[in-house]
Amino acid sequence: MKPAKFEYSRPDDLPTVLALLADQEDARILAGGQSLVPMMNFRIAQPAALIDINRVPGLDYIRMEGDVIAIGALARHADIQRSPVIQSNIPIMTEAYDWVAHSAVRNRGTLCGNLCHADPASEMPALMQLLEAQMVVASHTGQREVPAADFFTGTYETALEPDEMLTEVRIAKPAAGTGWRFEEVSMRKGDFAWAACAAMLRLEAGQIAMPRVAVAGVGDAPMRLDAVEAILTGQAPSEDLFQTAAQTGADAIDPPETPAASAAYRKDLVRTLLPRVLSTAAERAE
Amino acid sequence: MASHLDSNVIPPSRQREVPRQGMTWIGQSIKRVEDPRILSGKGGYIDDITVPGMAHAAMVRSPHAHARIVSIDTSKAKDLPGVIGVYTGEDLATVVDPCPSFASPPVPQHAMSIGKVRHVGEVVAAVVAEDRYIAEDAADLIEVEWDVLPANVDIEASLEATGDAVIHPDDRESNSALDQTFAFGPVEQHFAEADHVIKRRLRWNRSSAQAIETCGVVADYDAFKGGYTIHANTNFYNFIPFVIGGSLRVSPGELRIIPVLAGGSFGSKVFIHKIIILTAGLARLAGVPVKYIEDRMEHFMNSDSHGSDRLYDAELAVMEDGTFRSLRFTVLDDYGAYLQFGVGTHGNAMAQVTGPYQIESVGMRVIAVLTNKCQQGPYRGFGSEVTNWVIERMVDATAEELGRDGVELREQNMVQPDQFPYMIPTGNIYDSGNFQEVLAQAKGLIDYDAWKARAAEMRTEGRCVGVGLATCMERSVYGPTEWWSLNDKEAPGFTLTSTPEGISARIDPSGKMFVTLNSPMVGNSPETVVTQILAERLTVAPEDVVINYADSQTGFNGVGPQGSRFTAMIAGACVSASIKLEERLLRFAAHMLQRRPDDLELRNGAVGVKGLKDQEKSFGEIALTSSFFRLSFPDTEEFDSGLETTAVYDHPISSDPHPDREHLGIFYPIVGHICHIVAVEVDPGTGKVDILDYAAVHDNGTIVNPRTLGGQVWGGTANGIGSTLFEQFIYDDEGQFTNPNFAEFAMPTANEMPRNFKLGHVETPSPFTEYGIKGGGEGGRLGAPSALTTAIEDALKTYGVKINSLPVTPPTLRGLIRERELAITAE
Repeated sequence: MKPAKFEYSRPDDLPTVLALLADQEDARILAGGQSLVPMMNFRIAQPAALIDINRVPGLDYIRMEGDVIAIGALARHADIQRSPVIQSNIPIMTEAYDWVAHSAVRNRGTLCGNLCHADPASEMPALMQLLEAQMVVASHTGQREVPAADFFTGTYETALEPDEMLTEVRIAKPAAGTGWRFEEVSMRKGDFAWAACAAMLRLEAGQIAMPRVAVAGVGDAPMRLDAVEAILTGQAPSEDLFQTAAQTGADAIDPPETPAASAAYRKDLVRTLLPRVLSTAAERAE
Repeated sequence: MASHLDSNVIPPSRQREVPRQGMTWIGQSIKRVEDPRILSGKGGYIDDITVPGMAHAAMVRSPHAHARIVSIDTSKAKDLPGVIGVYTGEDLATVVDPCPSFASPPVPQHAMSIGKVRHVGEVVAAVVAEDRYIAEDAADLIEVEWDVLPANVDIEASLEATGDAVIHPDDRESNSALDQTFAFGPVEQHFAEADHVIKRRLRWNRSSAQAIETCGVVADYDAFKGGYTIHANTNFYNFIPFVIGGSLRVSPGELRIIPVLAGGSFGSKVFIHKIIILTAGLARLAGVPVKYIEDRMEHFMNSDSHGSDRLYDAELAVMEDGTFRSLRFTVLDDYGAYLQFGVGTHGNAMAQVTGPYQIESVGMRVIAVLTNKCQQGPYRGFGSEVTNWVIERMVDATAEELGRDGVELREQNMVQPDQFPYMIPTGNIYDSGNFQEVLAQAKGLIDYDAWKARAAEMRTEGRCVGVGLATCMERSVYGPTEWWSLNDKEAPGFTLTSTPEGISARIDPSGKMFVTLNSPMVGNSPETVVTQILAERLTVAPEDVVINYADSQTGFNGVGPQGSRFTAMIAGACVSASIKLEERLLRFAAHMLQRRPDDLELRNGAVGVKGLKDQEKSFGEIALTSSFFRLSFPDTEEFDSGLETTAVYDHPISSDPHPDREHLGIFYPIVGHICHIVAVEVDPGTGKVDILDYAAVHDNGTIVNPRTLGGQVWGGTANGIGSTLFEQFIYDDEGQFTNPNFAEFAMPTANEMPRNFKLGHVETPSPFTEYGIKGGGEGGRLGAPSALTTAIEDALKTYGVKINSLPVTPPTLRGLIRERELAITAE
């Protein structure tokens, strides 16, 4: 279980990183390495080159920029999970982190690396879609922003071009009074999700406004459940409504069939979890 | 009345140290003496071993479950710089013969496949290179052409296989490796007389221990002397030369096996004979020392340590009043592609197949089924964990069908305290016990009645909360007839009868006591246990005991930690050595103090005159004088220099199986007893099980160290929770092993363990072992599955869910609940 041969470089600044990324065939960015390195050891991933960004200064920020929270490419999961900026502005992210791997992985792993890995059962890609985050993508020729909805294109696939790197995630602070909830079922705590459901909503005159519902682990990529959001919009929260939403959600997904968990089971989980996250989110909404 | 057991006579006890209260060191929770060097990284595991000129091996493994090897092209690999040699099964066969087998008749196995592969992960070629990276690069360049054959995956379907699907067509016409029927007592008569026959079909699926360290070997062939020097993390290093010498074409004495600290075994490292043969053969072919450490996938796929994989059709004959009469079953066991020790795991289970209950007869048909999976090997419980679960399932089924309380039914049928030693129908004995006291303590520890009431109340509120209780046996101090007693009648290739354990001890002129063991440390506490027993018996200070490990050429008898034997057996060896050393200490001291030996006593590491506090000689003074000043003593042989001895302890009580297998003799007689009680809550929408409360009470006789025994109970319970809720090796229809990694094979972590684990002990000393010690190494895995299964069924009472197969992972349990939801809706 040793990786195949690869080139390794560890630049001190971002322009060099981006230049190397453009120059080298089949190069990958090494940030936390918590998914990439095991895959290389299994020889599932055999990149020709690794560009280690851990010596690049100033990429590990988690900061407010007006109403936007900006998270840099080297911000570690553990720091984000414990960040007061995140706790007070995006509490669903702190809550979701409870389900992300184990502390050893969170200490080293980065949010941006996690998003680029794009595991369909991973929590943060689903959460970024829920939060409608903007992905700041840089290359040696410039920079662009990609909405989360367009970033995750499939299993382990993103909108990144080979010469591009995800340098920052920008999340608009949810509106005051937003209720939220994240729940997940996996074999053990810290495992990839068999199904995870996340919800945010507001109540306006007792009716649900701007609901957002996202799921992970139940398709090729994490996704928003538009049909569920449509059913909820403008309705008063009730057990019946949430049961209807749950059935709609279960009908809208086409989960994978794996040896450990069947598609039918994953649909069951969405049916079970959706009413739970929606009712908690409704309770938390002001 | 004549009985099939009449010929099975219980020999008298050879116990020398009787159990007693108030001992100085035995019974103390001293800190493990092994820990400081291990926790500071100085332990020395197999991968820490390097020898001059050492090369590294990597393997090419079969991607197919069942296939003929058409051709192997190694040319590209051979050309890679840094590669020393590339070898196929035919190459290896020029220097080694097939693997040994305890099975009778044997199922042939090669350390590297020749002509055909029989499970995914089997080795088909090996690269020896300057480092492991190059070896793996080269392995990737080897091209194998396959002729894929039908894969046998299902345990029942495999028995029907014909033609190309037969796994060993040269030796067997079908995939049934062994099919044996036994009747221990008048089974037919008891069933005919029964008022009720309770039937269940029960399935236990395969998993394995997955110690944190995989198996590994560093082997060197001495072309001049013709022998091998081998470092390996086997449990069994003093016996393994006798097991593998034939395969390596050397006499056992030409194999020097050097033990290393092992990073956990739980059975998985009992033999590791296959990779020792493989690595040694590669070293001989390559002409350099070779290191081979299994990676995790290799350990999953090819380590020969998969646990039981059984399908039972079981019947319990019961009288109207609830009295159990007879148990009988047909069991199919999916042994995988080979059968290294026959049906030894069923031999083991016969030690306690009737559980703690009085059942007059037992009938069994055991069919060892060959499939295209990795072969079975030892895993904590060695098959008895399954029968424990089966008998407890049958008791619960009986309680349900008779409308009885399960605990009350257990108490009604339990062996009573005045019935020991109690002989069960298979011939094994239960040496001692007090099952009622264990039950009472466990119930008290968790407040069983209050939990039952609370769970019932919570269920009326719509929550799925339940309580389960299991009373199980924990046989210990194995006798080796279990390996072959159920094999076919032909004599097996290799038999043992007493599992001797040896020790050597020397008190040196500095006053230190140097002790050499003949069994390795595998994560258990051999040094702590030996220190405490010697401190107890000889009054030496624990810090003066220094422990080392012999290798297979410098040591002698040792069978290693397995079958919950080590503590009781090494205690016997310690007592034997102490008796010999005491005799010499007293003789020398008597001369030095000018007293008769009868006037002297051992006290605080000294020999003193009874009743006279100031008249004594320390062990150090005696050793110094006896070692360096020979002329101070009479010129007779008994005063020869030095204070040292070797001693061995043979199995305390065992007998041979009946020639016609009317019974199996006494082979696993030192029995512990356990009661586990657990309260769980099930989330019916997800199938997740939350353990709310847990109590485990074990009776392992006299306890040497409550802390280390507690660790065994805790760890075994974690294994048991894994086997019940999480762990299963899933082979798909093509025989692909779908989850050979830690992401998908889900062992419980700290998060899945009970938050408030309540541990209790009862001490019913054995009348046969020294100090009354019993083994407890397999611990909680023998009880947790039964208690948890019962608790989950209790929690889901309103749904009427029945659990007949383990593990019940959340998806499985949710599936059972869904079935019942649909059935209830339909009603």
